[in-house]
Amino acid sequence: MQRSLLSLPLNFSLRNKLFNAGFRVIADLQRLTDSELIHEAGVSQQDVLELLQAVRGEGGDAWSSSTSLELLQKEGESRSIVSFCSQLDEALSGGVPVGKITEVCGTPGVGKTQLCLQVAVDVQIPPCFGGLGGHVIFVDTEGGFLLQRIEDIAAAVVRHCSLLVEDDEQREGILTFTVETILSNIYVVRCNDYIEVLAQLHLLPDFLLEHPRTCLLVIDSVACPFRHIEVVSQRTQLLQSLGLQLTNLAIRYNLAVLVTNHMTTRLQGSQSQLVPALGELWGHAPTIRLLLQWLNSQRVAIVVKSPDHMEAIVQYQITSDGLRDVDESV
Amino acid sequence: MVFLRADMCPGLDSDLVRDLRAADVKTVEDLVSSNLEDLAHRCSVSYKALYAIRRVLLAQHSAFPVSGADLYEELLSSTAIISTGNPSLDKLLDSGLYTGEITELSGGPGSGKSQVCFGVAVHVSLQLKQNVIYVDTTGGLSASRLLQMLRAQTCNVEEQMEALQRIRVCRLFDIFALLHCLHTLCSDSSSSSSVEGGAVAAAVAAGGGGVEGVSLQQASVSGGSVKAVIVDSVSAVISPLLGGNHTEAMSLMIQVAGILRTMAKDFNVAVLVTNHVTRNTSSSRSCGTDVQPGLGVSWSHIPRTRVLLERVEEAGTGIQPSVRSATLIKSSRQPCFLREEFDLRFWSQTKTSTSGKRKREESDS
Repeated sequence: MQRSLLSLPLNFSLRNKLFNAGFRVIADLQRLTDSELIHEAGVSQQDVLELLQAVRGEGGDAWSSSTSLELLQKEGESRSIVSFCSQLDEALSGGVPVGKITEVCGTPGVGKTQLCLQVAVDVQIPPCFGGLGGHVIFVDTEGGFLLQRIEDIAAAVVRHCSLLVEDDEQREGILTFTVETILSNIYVVRCNDYIEVLAQLHLLPDFLLEHPRTCLLVIDSVACPFRHIEVVSQRTQLLQSLGLQLTNLAIRYNLAVLVTNHMTTRLQGSQSQLVPALGELWGHAPTIRLLLQWLNSQRVAIVVKSPDHMEAIVQYQITSDGLRDVDESV
Repeated sequence: MVFLRADMCPGLDSDLVRDLRAADVKTVEDLVSSNLEDLAHRCSVSYKALYAIRRVLLAQHSAFPVSGADLYEELLSSTAIISTGNPSLDKLLDSGLYTGEITELSGGPGSGKSQVCFGVAVHVSLQLKQNVIYVDTTGGLSASRLLQMLRAQTCNVEEQMEALQRIRVCRLFDIFALLHCLHTLCSDSSSSSSVEGGAVAAAVAAGGGGVEGVSLQQASVSGGSVKAVIVDSVSAVISPLLGGNHTEAMSLMIQVAGILRTMAKDFNVAVLVTNHVTRNTSSSRSCGTDVQPGLGVSWSHIPRTRVLLERVEEAGTGIQPSVRSATLIKSSRQPCFLREEFDLRFWSQTKTSTSGKRKREESDS
């Protein structure tokens, strides 16, 4: 099949010029020298350069290919971030995975932000204690980033690690693993509306180049800025491209992406049902979807969607030290 | 739309091309649609010569009819029916995925689209020993899950590794990257022999290039041919465009459809794509369900077979987490609205045959 020029990521004016000169498919460009092309289509040298890039597939987001065996090796090397709730970690085989988007949905007060804060601290556990030693970028859209809480959680994690110290390496590691360093390695971005969120994500690659140790991106919450865009088609479009952008970031920069979402009511006939907000289409964007909810005055997390885990339901609790397993003896 | 060149057909020499150009006839299209008598007069060439050239060019650029009997012969020799590995799905699809056709899976989040794709990929690579190309646009492909499914079917580690090597994964997150990828897959790598012209022409001749080892033909040279191309999901890259510049989005969508179709036909592969669903807000429950595949009406003509995947919720037992229902909503072979249920945990078995393998698979997970 002839490949149409429309399938190239060209700018509007260049495409029009080529079209008006009679070029329709890429094969038309064959056998023309560059100077002939400039003459024929009335384009500039700059345009030819752009065309060249587009034809080679270099413009925009390139694509990569590998066998699934190579992918398996890569997956074996990538790590997950523990949540300090062993049941939850078990259900996700190790915690919040790096290189994937994980979404946490739940009603207000069920512990979405607490989970985010916990993971933001846990990702910084030094490698000698089995952690990732990574930095965090925390996009806060709801003002839920409470320093007091993160200090509590950080102190608890430091305490936990200091109890584990056995060899010299760990003794040295614990010296630099303090509440202050934890706080200094979390970069908080306060966004008030969706434009700020989108702008921040566009600038993120630059930030990641400056801070190569970043391995967690938290957006708490993605629902708040996007929920109230009036034009539904615009909202859907923005959310879809946001989803693609996050996937791209997660895979290209090896980031764990953790986003939170609200719940909304869907009416089906006379029945109503609590479902994650932002519409069904958005539901395809996260790779893993966790549902937090109350069940008989007990907090539970349900793995609703995941390509490599069974659906599971686990209990957790939120203590002053952060997210923990439910202690059966109490 | 092809430019007139001196070596295109006998009688068309460089002098004549220059003369035609002077008369504002640059392309084959121009030549065919122009008044030949007038043109012969203007370029001072014989009408007969121009007429002959036009005949040759038309013959070169037209398709020619094939008899139905020949087509049937070809169909019998080239079409394969690729089993999905899952008996219920095979039953629904009239024994499997047909090569030369596009089959679509649609469903909401967590309805098991990717799981079905994994299952097909694993079955084709392990049981049929054929290559699979898996285009992943959502980042949802999990190689460890593939391995887990392989382990449930064979204990031989070498076989597992070989099967994994036969599944080639292309990751991309952009419509243009998807088009480039699909065109690269279809490009004939041997045709880039003689290159005249500039850098752009060279790049065109090289078929885009850049990524090695991913042509449908190349793959077929290195042991086993590609029998299945899976795009999971096609809607993830197309749906962000809809709602913006509508004509452009449509044109890109139709291009994706066109290249998928050509790929299926020319290379005899089974194409499996996934799509999201939209919910009917109106009360018209004409098609039996209140959800329908996304991407609108124009896309609905593209896949030959469409299957809707849903979670099964039973009133008595509550939600069965791993059971999914598949409903046939478009097919040229089977009656529509056939419905089958299957369990994602036991891909290669019917629900009734159980025990031994189930335990092993569960202990793996």
